[in-house]
Amino acid sequence: MEFFLQLVFAGVCVGAAYALIAMGLSLTFWTTKTLNFGQGSLLMLGAVSSTGLIAAGMPAGVALPLALLITGALMGVAERVTIRPLLKSGESMGWVVSTLGFGLFVQGFVAKFFGSQAIAVPPLVFDSMAFVSIAGIQVSAQSLSVLVVSLVLMVAMELFLRRSAWGRAVLAVAHDADAASLVGIPVRRVVVVSFVASGVLAGLAGILLSQINGTVDPGFGFNLMVLGFVAAVFGGMGSIQGAMVGGMVLGVIEKLVGGYVSTAFEHAMAFAILMVILATRPQGLFGRAEVTKV
Amino acid sequence: MMLTKVRNRMAFVADPRVVLVLVLALGIGSEFASGSTVQLWSFVLINVLIAQSINLLTGVAGQISLGHAAFLGIGAYTSALLMKKWGVPLPVALVAATLLSAAAGWLLSFAAGRVREFYLAMMTLGFGMIFYELIREWTAVTGGVAGLSGVPAPSLKTLSLNGYAVGPVAYFQIMLAVTAVVMWQLGNFQTSTYGRAFFAIHASEVAAGSIGVARVGTKREAYTISAALTGLAGGFYAHLVGYLGPESFGLHRSVEALVMAVVGGLGSLSGPVLGAIVFTYLPEKLQVFADWQFMVYGLLLMVSFVLLPKGLAGLLLPRSRYIKVSAQAGAKKLVSHRSGVESKTAAGISAASDTEPLLVAKDIGLSFLGLRALDGVTLEIRPGQIIGLVGPNGSGKSTLVNVISGIYRPNAGVVTFEGKPITGLHDHEVARLGVLRTFQDPRLVPTFTVRENVLMGMHRLYRQGRVAAALNLPSAQREEAEMLARVNEALALAGLTGLADMPVKDLPYGDQRMTELSRVLVADPRVVLLDEPAAGLSEGELVRLADVIRVLKGRGVSVVLIEHHMDFLDDLVDDVVVLEGGKMIYRGGMESMYRNPAVIAAYLGTEGRPEVKHA
Repeated sequence: MEFFLQLVFAGVCVGAAYALIAMGLSLTFWTTKTLNFGQGSLLMLGAVSSTGLIAAGMPAGVALPLALLITGALMGVAERVTIRPLLKSGESMGWVVSTLGFGLFVQGFVAKFFGSQAIAVPPLVFDSMAFVSIAGIQVSAQSLSVLVVSLVLMVAMELFLRRSAWGRAVLAVAHDADAASLVGIPVRRVVVVSFVASGVLAGLAGILLSQINGTVDPGFGFNLMVLGFVAAVFGGMGSIQGAMVGGMVLGVIEKLVGGYVSTAFEHAMAFAILMVILATRPQGLFGRAEVTKV
Repeated sequence: MMLTKVRNRMAFVADPRVVLVLVLALGIGSEFASGSTVQLWSFVLINVLIAQSINLLTGVAGQISLGHAAFLGIGAYTSALLMKKWGVPLPVALVAATLLSAAAGWLLSFAAGRVREFYLAMMTLGFGMIFYELIREWTAVTGGVAGLSGVPAPSLKTLSLNGYAVGPVAYFQIMLAVTAVVMWQLGNFQTSTYGRAFFAIHASEVAAGSIGVARVGTKREAYTISAALTGLAGGFYAHLVGYLGPESFGLHRSVEALVMAVVGGLGSLSGPVLGAIVFTYLPEKLQVFADWQFMVYGLLLMVSFVLLPKGLAGLLLPRSRYIKVSAQAGAKKLVSHRSGVESKTAAGISAASDTEPLLVAKDIGLSFLGLRALDGVTLEIRPGQIIGLVGPNGSGKSTLVNVISGIYRPNAGVVTFEGKPITGLHDHEVARLGVLRTFQDPRLVPTFTVRENVLMGMHRLYRQGRVAAALNLPSAQREEAEMLARVNEALALAGLTGLADMPVKDLPYGDQRMTELSRVLVADPRVVLLDEPAAGLSEGELVRLADVIRVLKGRGVSVVLIEHHMDFLDDLVDDVVVLEGGKMIYRGGMESMYRNPAVIAAYLGTEGRPEVKHA
């Protein structure tokens, strides 16, 4: 029983980070109906650059924001180079290929100049060996901190969207970009901001997950991006609460499969879930079916 | 300018005789080439098959796969295991590899009809990853990380066929012959009605549905054939290298496949060949390229859609066309005996006014999120009757057409055609019955010529099967020529003969509209629903439009005409139906419509003729 609960807890924590990835994907999905297939590389870059900067002697308080700045800025570049021209050209799937290319480029760049070996990530807050006891089960303090950070971000995000002018602008653009533009919302700027924010979220999720993982290598983010997508689809693409629940359910299933069957099948299980969901209930558990206008 | 010249000079490469000579020269040349050269050529052939597979899926059908390495792996492991463990003969093993991979593609495409394309892209990415994990972990069968060695291969002198040892050269020749035959079939298929249906799905799924192309089925077909091609390539690959390890089937292989097809040139048959040659030779011959491979691939995928949308082939080779040259020649030779056939259809249905209604939409109601778009609307139309559908913007005219043509499913009411209910049928099923439509803004395949676009309208009339189309059997050739002859007649009627071979994207709006109308005209329609066909037409084009509509009437076709242009309706329609706020407020002749108080009120109280707008 204790083993089971430990697995569930670990699943919830890792799932919260998946939800963060999902949120990053949702942000750009809202504003442009696109998402970055290279998001995984930004996760990796967030982890690699923060680790690299700390290793270079920078205090974590400076290194982390700087790493997020890098991923955010890169995502802004990605929008300019791989999304905007493709949406204009009208080739419907072009952006999938070009954003994937962007991700591969970043991954190749890191592999080329920082090596393709896994590097150890220094623990930021808690040592990986630190444990806390909650209701009789031993839980890793690191995982707990990841959970807390993710939840706080999630709530802040929800508040930002509902309460702030920028948040409402994002929702307006998501609802109907043309109408938003007519009422004076600077649609282009909202789009760019949504991409930069998505990049920052990706960097953060990458740093958090690398804390749990302990190491990071150039291929670190690719699976995670797909897992984030699974979480997003699970709850219905674009819904924050959906992503939260989807991420946690996914994390728990993964950990249970890993604990009772084999860790080798953790990810395979998640991808299989993705296929089943898309084939049976593509709008997700909480989403509404899309109505296509003719 | 210079490039156009180059492209025109290169036209000879598409000549089947040139291709045949080239294939023979390669086959004979391999006898004299060095072992490493033959090996490299063999890899080129495998990559050609993979790139063709991506091209069919992405370049032709507009779908995407980021997990093609999995299909390659399925083919490779299937063929390798069958031969190694059970001694199955090579041809059987290859066929099994192809079929198993096709089955995987078919299963994977089950979500195809339900979601936006990028979900499917992500799904294929996940599929590729599952497969990779699977072959790493399923050690008992695949050898796991250590890999599967001892696969019968020519280089190991362990491959035999019918008791004869197959050496590297003979293996290359077998692959060359198979690849040539596969490409010949692909060429036939892509210029058949089935191939054009792939392009239709690519350009606009709604438009594809309106000509009777099933969107789900067509996408599934694309995934299945594409997976089959890569599965075959995988089978060949297994015996070429003799050793299989998981690392050969990871993400980078899927990416490489994409790069070859995209940079080579999507949408053509020659592009993937160019791509395969370039990206087989480059890493082999250029150490620099090999060092920077991942970044280069990334960069190429990032920029090529914008900088080189048609790839190398678009730069160097003539534009592909989607009708066989031989079929066009056949059509010209055909003496036009169509008029006889047409009068037969027309005679079958007398245009008398006392016949049963052909199409009835009864008490149709439809709400969108609480907004009543249609509220108890009834429309009946008899063969040979023309009904004008009039009303202010937002009154529900287009919605009604969308309900009849199967795009929307009504909340209430039923649509019957020839007495049988058609509500709930998919749009392509409605179209296949002969209930055809045009759109407010013409929906065509922009890169196709006028002739190619119009020919697509006949999709529902084709009888040939897919195999006959791929093999270009005489029966298929005859049918294609007949269809083209009828297209030529329709083009003449619509005044488009002079523009027949222009890509529609280069044509003015009016010509695009007439093209769309011709696409309906050739399809032997029973009911035609025209959504503002006169909008944007010049005076001359209006006259021609009216002529075409009268021809339809003469054939006993029922025509529903949404139009704001009252002068145009005046001398054309038998009856007019006026909608307002989703309700029918008038049905009857044009003349009394102008005097009907409800109609006048609907048009903001204007007296006299409700002239709303000239587009």
